[in-house]
Amino acid sequence: MSEIFIQLKKLNWLLVFLISFLSFVGLVMIYSVTYGGDDRIFTSHLSKICLGLSIMIGVSLVDLNFIKKHAYLFYLIGIILLIWATFFGIVGKGSRRWLNIGGLVFQPSELIKILVIITLAKFFDEKKIQNAKDYIFLILPIFLILLPFFLILIQPDLGTAMIVLLLGLIIFFISGISLKFFGILSLFFLVSTPYIWGSLKEYQQKRILTLFNPENDPLGSGYHIIQSQIAVGSGGIFGKGWTKGSQSHLDFLPEKHTDFIFSMLGEEFGFLGTISVIGLIVLITYLTYSIASKSFSDNFNKMIGYGIISNYFFVSMINMSMVIGILPVVGLPLPLVSYGGSSMISYFIGFGIILSIDRSKRN
Amino acid sequence: MNKEVKKSKILRRRAFILGISKSLITGIVLSKLYYLQILQKSKYGKLSESNKTKIKILYPERGTILDLYNKPIASNQIDYQLNILKEKKKYISQTVQKLRSIIQFSKFDLDQVKLNLRDENLSDFITIKKNLTMDELELFELMSNQFPYLLITKEKVRHYNHDENFSHVLGYVGYKKANKNKKLANLKIGISGVEKNLDAQLVGTDGWVKLEANSRGIIKKEIVRKNPIPGKNIKTNLILDIQSRVMKELININGAAVIIDCQTGGINCLASSPSFNNNEFSNGVSNRKWNLLLNHEYNPLLNRSIAGLYSPGSTYKLITALFAIEKMKININKEINCVGSLKFGNRKFHCWKKEGHGNVNLLGAIQKSCDCYFYELAKSINIDELSSFSKQFSFGNKSGIDIPNELSGIMPNKSWKRLNRNERWQRGETLNTVIGQGYVLSTPLQIALMTARIATGRKILPSILKVKNREFKKMDLSDKGLNFIRSSMYSVVNDFDGTAFKSRLSSNYKMAGKTGTSQVRKISLEERESGVLKNEEIDYKLRDHSVFTGFAPYDNPKFAITIIAEHMGSGSKVAAPIAKRVLEFSLKNFLSYV
Repeated sequence: MSEIFIQLKKLNWLLVFLISFLSFVGLVMIYSVTYGGDDRIFTSHLSKICLGLSIMIGVSLVDLNFIKKHAYLFYLIGIILLIWATFFGIVGKGSRRWLNIGGLVFQPSELIKILVIITLAKFFDEKKIQNAKDYIFLILPIFLILLPFFLILIQPDLGTAMIVLLLGLIIFFISGISLKFFGILSLFFLVSTPYIWGSLKEYQQKRILTLFNPENDPLGSGYHIIQSQIAVGSGGIFGKGWTKGSQSHLDFLPEKHTDFIFSMLGEEFGFLGTISVIGLIVLITYLTYSIASKSFSDNFNKMIGYGIISNYFFVSMINMSMVIGILPVVGLPLPLVSYGGSSMISYFIGFGIILSIDRSKRN
Repeated sequence: MNKEVKKSKILRRRAFILGISKSLITGIVLSKLYYLQILQKSKYGKLSESNKTKIKILYPERGTILDLYNKPIASNQIDYQLNILKEKKKYISQTVQKLRSIIQFSKFDLDQVKLNLRDENLSDFITIKKNLTMDELELFELMSNQFPYLLITKEKVRHYNHDENFSHVLGYVGYKKANKNKKLANLKIGISGVEKNLDAQLVGTDGWVKLEANSRGIIKKEIVRKNPIPGKNIKTNLILDIQSRVMKELININGAAVIIDCQTGGINCLASSPSFNNNEFSNGVSNRKWNLLLNHEYNPLLNRSIAGLYSPGSTYKLITALFAIEKMKININKEINCVGSLKFGNRKFHCWKKEGHGNVNLLGAIQKSCDCYFYELAKSINIDELSSFSKQFSFGNKSGIDIPNELSGIMPNKSWKRLNRNERWQRGETLNTVIGQGYVLSTPLQIALMTARIATGRKILPSILKVKNREFKKMDLSDKGLNFIRSSMYSVVNDFDGTAFKSRLSSNYKMAGKTGTSQVRKISLEERESGVLKNEEIDYKLRDHSVFTGFAPYDNPKFAITIIAEHMGSGSKVAAPIAKRVLEFSLKNFLSYV
C-alpha cells in the first residue's frame, strides 16, 4: 500500500492538474448547455470525469513493461470488440459503433486508437530494422493500421477512421522509416483518390465540398459550418457571457454538447476563451512532449508518448478546425471537453500511460 | 548499440519535425480564430443578431370614419391571420397541404400567398391566410406544435359598418401596386373616396416588434417593441341615417342623390346606385369579382353623384331665368304664348307639353317648366355670357369636393364647340342649352350645389370632412333675382299647377324645387307626328332620366337635395317623390342649425 503512495507521489501532478482543469472547462460548458433545461447530461458528464480521472491515475500506476509485453493481445481484444461493434453494435448518430457490455456502453473505436499506437510502437521497437529498402516488413504494420481503419470506416465513422490512419502514419514517421516510403505512399494516395472519393457516402462528399463554399447551400450541408462560424465570430474578444450564447441556446449551433462545444465556448467566452483553451492544449502537449523526449533510453516509450499526444493534439486541432471552417465536418469530439464517455475515457487512459512513462523515468 | 543510438537520434529528429508541424497547425487555428473573432466580429455579430431576431411590422389601426353624429361608418374589426417565418418559406406548400385539413384555402388565398412571397419588405413574416374563423383558430391551436414557424397574429382590418351604403363616398382600402415604401408593402392605403383623400390622416404610423426565435422558428421572447400609432379618427358631414334612407329609396334604381347642408356646405348624403360592397374590396377582391363589377351593365363602380354626367334638363332653367333677370334685365311679367313648339330658323323646337301652355310669364314658365318661354329667351342670349354666368353655379367646373375622381361636366360655349366639335356654334343650340339639353352635362353634385347657392345666395363649397366655422362669400346676384327664383321654385312644389305639386311636403316645412327630365335620345320628326312614345313603350336605355332638385325649409334653407333616377321618365314621377320622402325624414330627425 505504501508502495502505491510512493508511486503516486512520483506522478507528474502538474500534468494531472492541467488535464483536470481542461475537463473542468468542459464541465463548465456542459453546464451552460443544460442551463435552463435537463441537467442529467451535466451530472452524467461530471461522473464520467471522476471516473476518467480515477482510471487515468490507475493506468499511471501500471508498469509499462506489462503493457509492452501484452500489446498484441490487447490489440487482438480491441479488434474483436471493434468487429463486434461494427457488425453487431448499437446504432447511434447514423453509424454502428457502440457496444453494450453489462450496461457499460462504449465505442471500441476510441480504444483501438491507443492500441494501434502501442502495437505499432512495440513492432517498430522490436524489429530493429531500418534498412529503407526493406519494405516487405512494413506489410504487417500497414495491415495493423488498415484493419481497424476499414472496420471503423464501414461503421461509418470517417473522422475516427482518418485519425487511426493519421496515427499510424505518425508512428511510421517517428519510427524512422525512410522518407521515400512516404513519397511512394503519397503517390499511391493520389492515384487512389478518385476511388476513395467514389466510395464515400454522399453526405460525406457533400461535407467536404461545402467546406470550400459553405455559403453555397446555407440551409443544407453548409448550415452547420456557417452557424458555427457565426457563433465563434459573434463571440468577439470577450464573448457573450456564460450561458448567454444566442447561437448555442437558440439551437442554431448543432451538437453543441459534443462536436461543436468549442464553438459554444468561442461564443460565450470569446477570443480570450478560445486562446486560453488552445493554450491549455498546447501546454499539455508540450509537457507530454518533454516527458516523451526525456525518456531517451526507451524508444518504445517515446513512440507511445508521441503517438498518444499526437492522438490528443490532432483530434483537438481537427475538431477546432472543423468547427471554425478550416476542415470538413467529420464528427470528432474535442478531447476531454466534449460530452461523450468513451472518447473522454480513452484520452484519460492515454494520459494515464503518459503519466506512467513519466513515473518510470523518475524511478 | 550504435544502431540503437542512431535510431534514437532519428526518432528525436522526426519528433522535432512533428512538433514543428504541430506548432504550424496551432498557428493556423489561432489565426482563423483571430480572423473570426477579432477581424470579422462585427459581421458575425450581425449575423448572429439577425439569426435570432425576427422583425414583425406592426401595422397601425386605421382611423375610424364617423358621421356627423359620431356614428362610425368605417371602423376596424379583428382579423386573425396566419403568418409564416420568411426563412421557412420553402416549406410553404407542404405546410398549406397539411393545414388544408383544418383551414380552408381558397384559390384566392393561394394566389395572395404567391404575391406575398414575392414581396420584399423588412418583415420576417409572410401572411399566408387571413380571415381565420374561430373554428379554424381553435383547430390550429391544437396542431400548432407541428408548425413552430407559423405565427397567428391579431390584426385590425378595415370594416365598413353599413354594407354598400357608403361604398362610393368612402371608397375602400387596398394594397398599392408599386408601393415605394417597401417596408410597408402590406400596409393598406386608401384607394378611392374619403379613404384616399384623407389617407394621410387615417393611416397612422407603423411600429414593429423584435422577437427572439430559435432555429426552429419558435418565438422565445419579445426583445423590444415600438407600438404603432393608430390613424386619426375622421368626422364627416355625412349622416348615416339619411344616407341609408336614400340608399333604400334607390334600390332597383340607377341613379344618384346628393344632400348638402346649406349652412355649412357639408355633404350629408352622397349616394350612387347601384353600389358594391367595399368590404370585399378591403379584403382583396378576386379577379373574377372585379371583372364582374367592371363589366356590369349598370357600372356599379361609377360614383354617379360626382362622376355621372347627365343633362340637367329643366333644372337648368333656374340658371337661365336668373341670367335673364340679372344680365338681360327682362320684364318678368312679360307673357309669351306657348303653342307647344317654336320655329327657329328652319327647325322646330318642341315644348314638352305638345298642346302648349298658352300665355305664360317667367314664374309660370318655371312652375310649369314651359320650354317655349325659354326658347324665346334664348333667341337673344349670347351663349358665351350664359356659359360664364353658369360657372358661378359650378356648371362646367369641378366643385372641389374633397374626394377624388370628380368630373367637371360640360358647360358649352363657342370656343368649346370649336375645340371639341370643330364647328361653329349654331344659334339653335342655345335653345337646347337654355332648357338644360344639348351639350350641357352636369353631375348631380353640381345640380345640388346650384340649388344650395340659389337657396342661400352664397357661394357654398361642398365638403365631406367636417370643418368648423365655414364662411361662404355672398354671390354677386341681386336679392330680387334670387328671391324670384326661390319663390318660383316654391310654386313648382307648392302651387296646384306646379310640376312637383304631388311631392309637396306633408310636414310644417315647405320645400322649393324644380323638376327636370333629362333627355337621352333625340325624338325624330316622324315620332313627333305619330305621337311621342311614352317612356314605358321604349327601350330602358333610351328612356329619359328623372331629375329633381330642391331645398327645404323654404324660409330658412337647411338641406339642398338633388335626385337623379336614370331612365325613370319625368322628374315629377320618380325623383321628386324620393326627394319628398327623404326630406321629410331628414327634417324630422336632423333639422338643426349651427
